[in-house]
Amino acid sequence: MTSLDQRSGTALQIPDTRPFAARRFTLFLALCLVLIAALLVLHIAVGTLNFTPLQVVRALVNRAEEQLHRQVVWGLRLPRALVALGAGAMLGTAGAILQTVTRNPLAAPGLIGVSQGGVLAIVAYIVLASRSVQFGFISDAGLVLPLAALIGGITAALLTYALSYAQGSDPVRLVLVGVLVGAVCSALASVLLLAARDNEVQRIVRWTVGSTAGRVWIHWHTLWPVALIAIPLGFLSAGLANVLQLGDGVARGLGVRVEGVRVILLFVAALLTAGAVAVVGAVGFVGLIGPHAARRLTGGDVRRLFSLSAALTANLLIAADIVARTVSIGWLNTVFGLDVPTGAGLPVGAVTALLGAPFFLYLLLRRRSDV
Amino acid sequence: MSQSYAKNGSEQPTAALVAQALSVGYSDTPVIDGLSRTIERGHVTALVGPNGSGKSTLIKTMARLMQPAGGQVILDGRAIHTMPTAEVARRMAILPQGPTAPHGLTVLELVEQGRFPHVGALRMLKRQDHESIRQALALTHMTEFAHRPLDGLSGGERQRAWIALTLAQDTPILLLDEPTTFLDIGHQLEVLDLVGRLNRERGMTIVLVLHDLNQAARYADRMIVLNRGRVVADGAPHAVLTPDLLEQVFNVRVNIVTDPAGGTPVCLPYAVATATPSNGMLQENRAAGDADVEASKEVMV
Repeated sequence: MTSLDQRSGTALQIPDTRPFAARRFTLFLALCLVLIAALLVLHIAVGTLNFTPLQVVRALVNRAEEQLHRQVVWGLRLPRALVALGAGAMLGTAGAILQTVTRNPLAAPGLIGVSQGGVLAIVAYIVLASRSVQFGFISDAGLVLPLAALIGGITAALLTYALSYAQGSDPVRLVLVGVLVGAVCSALASVLLLAARDNEVQRIVRWTVGSTAGRVWIHWHTLWPVALIAIPLGFLSAGLANVLQLGDGVARGLGVRVEGVRVILLFVAALLTAGAVAVVGAVGFVGLIGPHAARRLTGGDVRRLFSLSAALTANLLIAADIVARTVSIGWLNTVFGLDVPTGAGLPVGAVTALLGAPFFLYLLLRRRSDV
Repeated sequence: MSQSYAKNGSEQPTAALVAQALSVGYSDTPVIDGLSRTIERGHVTALVGPNGSGKSTLIKTMARLMQPAGGQVILDGRAIHTMPTAEVARRMAILPQGPTAPHGLTVLELVEQGRFPHVGALRMLKRQDHESIRQALALTHMTEFAHRPLDGLSGGERQRAWIALTLAQDTPILLLDEPTTFLDIGHQLEVLDLVGRLNRERGMTIVLVLHDLNQAARYADRMIVLNRGRVVADGAPHAVLTPDLLEQVFNVRVNIVTDPAGGTPVCLPYAVATATPSNGMLQENRAAGDADVEASKEVMV
């Protein structure tokens, strides 16, 4: 052993044939961040009042040509873009954690009931609280609604964990119970929806689909504290998740307290999901596709997966929001003779589902051909 | 790290791992019932027995993957459940049965995790860690596969990668739960040769669960035979592998011959010893088997 120790060089003299994203991970992550910056500018530039990218950048650094530019950029568009980015990063981290903990590539933030629990709390709050208020209108902003969503989401996650616990937790049972808890929450939300007033239904539907419309600074300020706590927690727990994904037996053998670590990881994922749902509602698919694509790009090591998944999913959500902001839904009214209010545009959750589903199908089919 | 140290050196054969009055059970029915055994340092010990005999449960309990209902496991003189689990992992490594790696994980990324008990969750690998990883890959001949994903390897290579993970833990004791199951014969021998090498060259104490009695006899210094949660035989392979014991434990009639290659006992089963009463056919097979005894003796002699 001593003679081996004395041999110099710890680098392995063998060609690294891993994918580009795994070999040059830092570079790849930097590219993702550059893309985020570009999409942020594009997101701000498009809309009823189109700006050039230069105008956007000038407005962002307080060198706007016109005062109006600065007002639109800072007052309306930047907070919405930041909310989309923040929520995307949170859902991406949560999805990556859940896919790792459950050892299930199809796990998504909604899988352990968090999204549905959060939405149920929002719906219940809108429907029930507006009954008790004189003028019957509860704003989407403020602190109470996100707080209710946060509590609802985390309660659902804890309920899922508690119900699936029988002589230790088990990833498969966890997923099954999570689907169950989610379904019950969705059903309860539907029942409450029946009791909602007409003017509340539109808003509630936007929460259940997920929307970034009308998100301003107050929303960003309820989002970033959760993100600031939970995303670093997620990244710090990557080393533990890395061992956990080798299976409970191997992880225990390596000295991991499996139950404790699983609870911590699930709690972080629930916090991230509930924090995002509290501000943008139950945006589907990005928390599934982002981590899935990130894993394909970086391979199986979770320390790369978590950060890339956050960056990639932020990209996806802001890109989807650009689509949501630019695609007009007026044609729905002309073609189908419907009466959809066009003012708020398409909910971003509808875009992620419509564009995400085919993309996900493509990923699945490609995987099949790999085998 | 000479052979003399590993096998019969001047150092007293101190206990590496002790099972004290272990009882393990899923609910009411005990899988292991009051089992006491001492695993000696520097030896290869094979746990064998029929399906459901408790051999896998025993190795899992010794590795603290399962909690005993009664009794305790002593590692280096201390009760294992009083030790921090990371400290146990620095003294003893376990490879559970049939581990699976996540899609796309490379051999190096897997083996790096073996340093977890030494570096903790925040994982800044130091020079010593890289050296352990390099040695683990070299010992298992996996260096050239370091950057290959596990799902692209053969069964034997994959199993060697998992063993490399346990070697990166740098522990004097290694437990392997059915390391050869689902491997073809060539890959089985590859894994067992590695076990022998680790014992001889690094003086590692190895406990392994094996299905194949002849392989156990060839590669182990000591065989512990379990049946229904109790030890029914324990000792050197030639003392343990007797026709009487195999009939009693495995319900088979065998001839024991000596392997011309290594001098170890080899059992040749030729008939099922007892039949279920409902099946009359087996009685005939038994009679036919007696005739086969003569035939197989002729072949071997």
